[in-house]
Formats: sequence, structure tokens, C-alpha cells
Amino acid sequence: MAEKGPLKISAKELTSGLVHAKDVEVFIGRLAMEEEWEPLGPTPFPSIATLRSWDHLLLSRYKPFYAPFCDYCCLCTYGKCDLSKGRLGACGLDMKAQTARIVLIACCIGAATHLSHARHMVDHLIEKYGEDYPINLGSDIAVEMPHARLITGIKPKTLGDLAFLLNYCEKQVTQCLSAAHTGQEGSYIDFESKALHVSMIDHLAMEIADVAQIVTFGFPKGDPDAPLTWVGLGVLDLSKPVVLCIGHNVSAGIEVIDYLEKSGLGGPGETVEVAGLCCTAHDITRYRDQAKIVGPISDQLRIIRSGAADAIMIDEQCIRTNVVYEAQRVKTPVIAVSDKASHGLPDVSELPIEKIVQMLLSGSTPGVFLPDLEKAGAVVALTAIRMAPIRQKFKIIPDPSQIQTQASQCTFCGTCRRNCPIDLPIDQAVFNAKNGNFELLSMLHDVCLGCARCEQVCPRKIPALSLIEAAAQHKIKTEKYRMRVGRGPILDTEIREVGSPIVLGEIPGVVAYVGCANFPNGGREVATMAREFARRGYIVTLSGCSAMVASYVKNEEGKTIYEEFPGAFDRGGVVNVGSCVANAHISGAAIKIANIFARRPLRANYEEIADYILNRVGACGVAWGAYSQKAASIATGFNRLGVPVIVGPQGSKYRRMYLGRAEDKESFTVYDARTGERVWVGPAPEHLIIALETMEECMVWTAKLCIRPNDTTKGRMIKLTHYVDLYKRIYGRLPPDLHMFVRTEADIPVTFKDEIMQHLKEVGWKPWERPSIDPTLLKRLVRV
Amino acid sequence: MAMAVKPWQWGNVPGHEMATPVKGDVVAKLIKSAKRPLLVVGGEALREKWGDKLLIDFVAELAKTGVPVVATAHTYRALRERGVEPAAIMTVADVTNRLQDPSWGVDGKGVHDLAIFVGISYQLQSQMLSTLKHFATHLRTISLDRYFHPNATFSMPNLKQDEWEQVLNNVIQVVRG
Repeated sequence: MAEKGPLKISAKELTSGLVHAKDVEVFIGRLAMEEEWEPLGPTPFPSIATLRSWDHLLLSRYKPFYAPFCDYCCLCTYGKCDLSKGRLGACGLDMKAQTARIVLIACCIGAATHLSHARHMVDHLIEKYGEDYPINLGSDIAVEMPHARLITGIKPKTLGDLAFLLNYCEKQVTQCLSAAHTGQEGSYIDFESKALHVSMIDHLAMEIADVAQIVTFGFPKGDPDAPLTWVGLGVLDLSKPVVLCIGHNVSAGIEVIDYLEKSGLGGPGETVEVAGLCCTAHDITRYRDQAKIVGPISDQLRIIRSGAADAIMIDEQCIRTNVVYEAQRVKTPVIAVSDKASHGLPDVSELPIEKIVQMLLSGSTPGVFLPDLEKAGAVVALTAIRMAPIRQKFKIIPDPSQIQTQASQCTFCGTCRRNCPIDLPIDQAVFNAKNGNFELLSMLHDVCLGCARCEQVCPRKIPALSLIEAAAQHKIKTEKYRMRVGRGPILDTEIREVGSPIVLGEIPGVVAYVGCANFPNGGREVATMAREFARRGYIVTLSGCSAMVASYVKNEEGKTIYEEFPGAFDRGGVVNVGSCVANAHISGAAIKIANIFARRPLRANYEEIADYILNRVGACGVAWGAYSQKAASIATGFNRLGVPVIVGPQGSKYRRMYLGRAEDKESFTVYDARTGERVWVGPAPEHLIIALETMEECMVWTAKLCIRPNDTTKGRMIKLTHYVDLYKRIYGRLPPDLHMFVRTEADIPVTFKDEIMQHLKEVGWKPWERPSIDPTLLKRLVRV
Repeated sequence: MAMAVKPWQWGNVPGHEMATPVKGDVVAKLIKSAKRPLLVVGGEALREKWGDKLLIDFVAELAKTGVPVVATAHTYRALRERGVEPAAIMTVADVTNRLQDPSWGVDGKGVHDLAIFVGISYQLQSQMLSTLKHFATHLRTISLDRYFHPNATFSMPNLKQDEWEQVLNNVIQVVRG
């Protein structure tokens, strides 16, 4: 049963000694809950089973496909249980359910991580600004939090309302996680339903976190012309003290900047460089664009070992868990500010700032745990300033002249390669270096994930990652790229402009390059794909590490994608929404299209809006380097909302995809809401989440997954133009499934008309009887 | 007696039952004796090379012996250029998904009894083989890549490139008859 909003007490007539009133309604709860801004939809505050029927509907078309990572279940003391080849575990669970259970756990971790981030952020901001601080995203954004409105039915007005929403989210995550306990859920489909539920909650939590920081910190409020900043390993001015912020929660990073500014030391880059990795990096540049982004998570060890940082501040998520050890090697103190990642460091909350700084300068401790953010801001800034002359940028990446000596121990045993997550020829590169040839080592810098697993397993203790970096020193200095800072949400005014062309298919699609840096061939593939689709007139949105690496390929004029294309949510626009939590604005834009453009009721109306998006909004997510549990829940949250997602080959290790089968015509039938008839609409979209192997394949599928049943003939023709053009370029022929997407001759791209007509004739294609319908999976939306 | 072979990726130890390592003649006999083999080719076939020769060249030779091919990733064009018309173009996930189905055949002529994987990136291939190991009990799988794949029914052991070349040539020769 759905969770209730505030308690509502109604009375026809109320008489007391003081008053006499009629038709009285009393609400007990938050003010935001009172406002009847729209009639309440069917599913306010859904619990884990409220939207189960929608999930089952989706999963009857997009059936879970499992690729177990391990034959065993090791979660309880009956185990290990071998579940291979149809065997059941001691609890009765089979491999499908166990794999679905692991997926659920991953999605719970992902959602919990964003949620606890949001909780920390909101509590901190309430303490700082008060719970009545207004949620105001500017005059161009009236639908301020589409997820909150859609899922819970409330229109948040203050930080206090956000805290209230978090209570609901926390309860949902707890319930979903509890379903993973031994002896609870036993059906893989219902594990998946819970994974979809908790991932929907994840998007709400991300929205809360990002909106809270936007309104209080003054981040861009959907500004298409948000300023450009710098990203890359070569962006830092090493003549200055450098503060390096690692993680995802910018609260502490902002305290560093505020301290510098208040102390007369100027903004970032004036006397002290303030830079970051991962999402905190995004968010410090949303606060001050003079701050800099070193790069994605994969650059973490590289920059630490380079000795550039004079103080490292870690907050939460995506932190190297041996960061203290690595920082200690280059004499850089670490200041941990989150109780979720305190890394065994001593709590110095009670000590005065000067005392803490002295401890760090003296090296008596490799770092401190300091959850008092204001104090941490001062400690980090002062430590960096005073540590810089002591450290003198001490580094452990060898000079190029030392590479050969360090590589000389290599026996070419291949152990490094066999432990590299993406099977890079590290063995060959180090062996070549032993013989004086550093070329391959240097090339590996462009694709290496920076995890250093190769070093852990080397029997000769060769520091392969450091050698790769040493060999690439000459090009690292030139790695400076312009990137538009995260602009946050999409404006309602933009949605009004593009809603129609997106839904009708005239803008061929919205492609979202999101997530982490576990790329199969380096980040440049993301840059190449993003540019390709922007040039084709798709709306390209980006977030997280993908938004950073998208700048790594310059065009013929030396411009990055952010300099080449406008930042508007419009045809050919390239929109960096910001950090991980800003992903909620991408899914939020799809919701807004359904609401603002199509005027579908938004309030607590999840199923109908998701049905609308699945059938009408040509959007596709690409998480080419997804690695984390957060990426799992983000992708699964997109899926519940009807948005398909492509992951790179490493994403197959998430163990589960949602795959349709195009030849199963029944599964791709929908209701025509006008007549109630069941109509086949073609495999559009064919899958909800799929792992692909190569960039080329990914581009073809991105174009294909933007096709929707509702496309007009003009829209379908435009979408097919891109699909066919890419297909012909990459495969050298027409797509064999073209007949499933051409409904009438008017759908056929003019440029390929003769060729396609010939092909269609050969396969016996006939114009569809019902090319134009009002598609829905929901019987209740049939109007007759 | 089976050789003791470690998975190519050290961490890729799925369980106590792992692929039977096979080489040369055995591989060829498995392919020859299969009633309905299917060759699944991936993007690494366009990257693995010996001098001027690519893995896709070997694959094309094997395909010409009459084994139907599914071109995954973006291998279709290269196969066509080598005179092979694949039976289907699919993603590796799509073909693996269908191979679980005991009624599916790529050409509509019935279920396959042997899926031969080649040139698919290691981790992705390992996951696909895991799917088939667990959920396609009607099917045997073999990996022709030079890395030991524990999730296959049969796999090449970890081979040096020149050894691998020799094995592949031998397989083609024997299958061709």
C-alpha cells in the first residue's frame, strides 16, 4: 500500500466555545503536502509493490537476461552454494533469482549512496540556511522537481520539504534491501521489480541532492550559457599550492573556496589552485568556474603520484580506498570530511584549526578526519599553502630517464596483462621499455583505467602505472580542454520549444552520455560519439566522468565539443548537466516533456508518464564506462521510466540486461488508446538495457534506440535517415530490420529511397494497416 | 586427462567446474561432429593481428567451411569483404539471448548444438558464456580465442600468439577436410 501524505482531517461542521465553522479541513504534516496544485494521481509515495504491475508489464517485453559473475551464492552461512546448471541453494534460490538479488543489492547500494549524499547535503544546508530556505530555480523553471512531483505528488517549496522527502526515500531503500535477505523474495521478476523501484527512488534522491545544492550555493540554474572551465591532467599551475578535492559531495570543497575568498587569498587559481576529481570537481566549477577539473576517477592515482597536490580533501564516493597510503608516498596530507569515508584517520573535530594544521605539516599523522566542514575548509586551505614549500611537489612518478632502469626487472611473464580489467598489453609495453622503447607505454596512458592492479600482481614489483605516466609526461602537459560547467536542470521554456519536435521525432533523439570512466578504449570514444550525434542534430546531454572526457577530442579548428556546440537543450546542443546527481535532470527532462509539452498529469502519476516516455520520447542513455553500483541504479531508474540504456562491454558484469526479442511480435504490441485495439508497433525501443562491444556498434544502436512508436512520418523518416546512414557507414549495407520500422512509404528517408524500396520489396514488406496510433501499454488509458 | 589451466584473467574463477581445455585436432573434431554449429564473431577479430593478417581472416576461412556465422559488433563488413555472408548481424547479447532458447536457430532450421565464440572481448565473452553455461543446457560452447575461458564447455588454453596461429590453421585445415 502506498505511503500516505500528511494527515487530513475533514469535518462538515465544527463547533467549539470559540468558533463555529463548516467544511473544515485540517492538515497535519508539511505545508508542501497541503497544496492541491493538481488533482492527486493514483500512486502518491509508492511503496515497493505499488508500481509492480508496471514493472511486470515492462519485463514481459524486456525480459531479464542474466550473465552470472559467479556460480556460487556466498551470502549466508549455509553457503557457499553452487547454483550452476539449474541447482538450487540451501535456501531454495536458483541462479536467476540469485543474480537478480545481486542486481537488487547493487541498485540498493547505488540508491543509498546518492540518498545518504542527499541527506548529508540537505541536513548541512538546513543547518546553514534554515529549513525554510526556498526552492527557487528561477523564472524559467516552474516544474522545479519533476521526480518529486511525479513520484510523491508534492511540490517541494523549502529545504525542509526536501528533508521530508528523504524520509520517504530512506524507508523505500530499507525495504528494498530487506527483500534481499535470505528467505525473503524468491522470484527473479520480483527482485527486478524491487530493483526498478529502488532505482526510481535513486533518481528522486539525486534530484533532491542537486536541487538543494543549486539553490543554496548559487550554481547555474539551467543556464545554457554556463561558463567554460578547464579540464585535464595538464590544467594545474604547479607554481601555486594545490588543493585537490576527491569525491562527490561538494559541501566541503565550497568551504575551502569560501575560506580562501574570505581570507583575502582570492578565488580559486589566484593564490591557490582548487581542483578536483570526479563529481566534486564538477560541482566546485559550478560554484566558481575558476576552479579546475583534473579528470575522471581514472586519473586519481596519476595525479596523486604526480605530487601536484599539497592537500587532498576527500568527501564521499569513488575515492581510492588506499588514498591515504598513496598520498603519504608523496607527502600530501589527507583531510577526510565524511563519516562514510574516514579511512582510519584520527578525529580532530575538537582541536583548534592551527593545531590540526601543525599536525599535518609535521607529518605526525598522514591525515585527519574532520567532519566539521567549515573548519575543514580552513584546515585544507592553510595546509596546502604551508605544505607547498615543504613538499616542493614531491612525486613518485619517475623521470623519463629512469623508466628503462625500473622496467629492466620485467621478465615478460604477462601477469600484469592478465589482471588488467581491460586486458591492456602492459607486459609488452614494459618489456619494450626495458629495451628502450617507450612508445607503447605512452600510448597506454590514453586508455589505461589507472587502477594499478598490474602493480599489485607484478612478481618483480614494477610500478607499471607510474612508468606509463612517466612515458607520457610530454603529452600530459598539453592535456588541457575547455568544458562547459554543469548547468543543472533543463528549462521549462526549452522543453516547450523542443517537446513537439522530440515527441514527433523531428529532433531525432536525446542522447545522454552518462557515468563513469571504466571505458574499454579510453574516454575519447565518448567524445567521438557525442560529437557525431551533436552534428546529426540530436540533443546531447552529459554528466559525470563522461561529461569530462567528452572534451578530450578537439575538432579541426581545435575546439572541444563544448566550444563547438551551444549549451542549449535544443537540436545539436551539447548539455553538460553536471555531476552524478545531476543525472536526475536528464530523466527529469523526459518527465517534463510529458507534462509541460503533452500536458499529461504529473502529480503522483508515474505509470502514465513512464508509458508516455517509453512510447514517445526518443531518448537513449549511454553509460560507456559504467562501473559503479550508482551507475547500476541510475540506469535501472532510467529503465523504469521507459528510457533505454546502452552500457559498454564492461557493463556486462552488472550481470543483467533487459532484452526484447524483435521477432516476438506479440511482445511489441500496444493498445491504440483511441480504439482499444492491440497493434504491433515494431521493436521500438528493442531493448531497455544492453551491453555492447564496440563504439561503432554503439553508435548504430544509439540511433536505433531513439525510434519510438509515436513518431510522425516526418520524424520516423529523420530517425531512419540517421539509423540507415550510420548502418551503411559501419556495416556497408542496409539494416536487415528496416522493414520493422518503415510503416508507410512516407517513412522512408529520401536519400536512400530507391535502395530501401528495393530492399523492402525483396523482404515482402507491405505498408502497415495502422501506421498512426495513440500507443500505450496501459489498458486504463484506452478512451473507448 | 584435462590440463590444469588458470583462467586468462586471474580473477575470473566462476566455480569448481570450468571449461575443458582443448587444442588443435580436438577443436576441429568438435566442430566437425556438431550437427548445428554456429560461429559467433566479435570486434576483437578486427584488432588481433599477426603482421598483416587479422583474426577475422582466420574466421573467414573457418566460415567458408560451411559453419553459419553471426557477425556481432561491427564485423559484418569485414566478413563480407572476405567473401563470407553472415547468417545474421546481431549484438553478442542478442545472439546469446536467443541461444538460450532451445527452439531457436539462426536460419530457422532448428536448434544449435555448438556455439563457437571467437574474437569477442574477454570479459564480455566470459559473461555471455556464463549465460549459456547456466541457462542453455542443450548447448555446448567453445571459445577459439587464445585465452582460457572457464565458462565455456571447451576452451583453448592460454596460448602465445604463434601457437594460436598454428592451432587455428590446423583447425581450419581439419574442418575443411
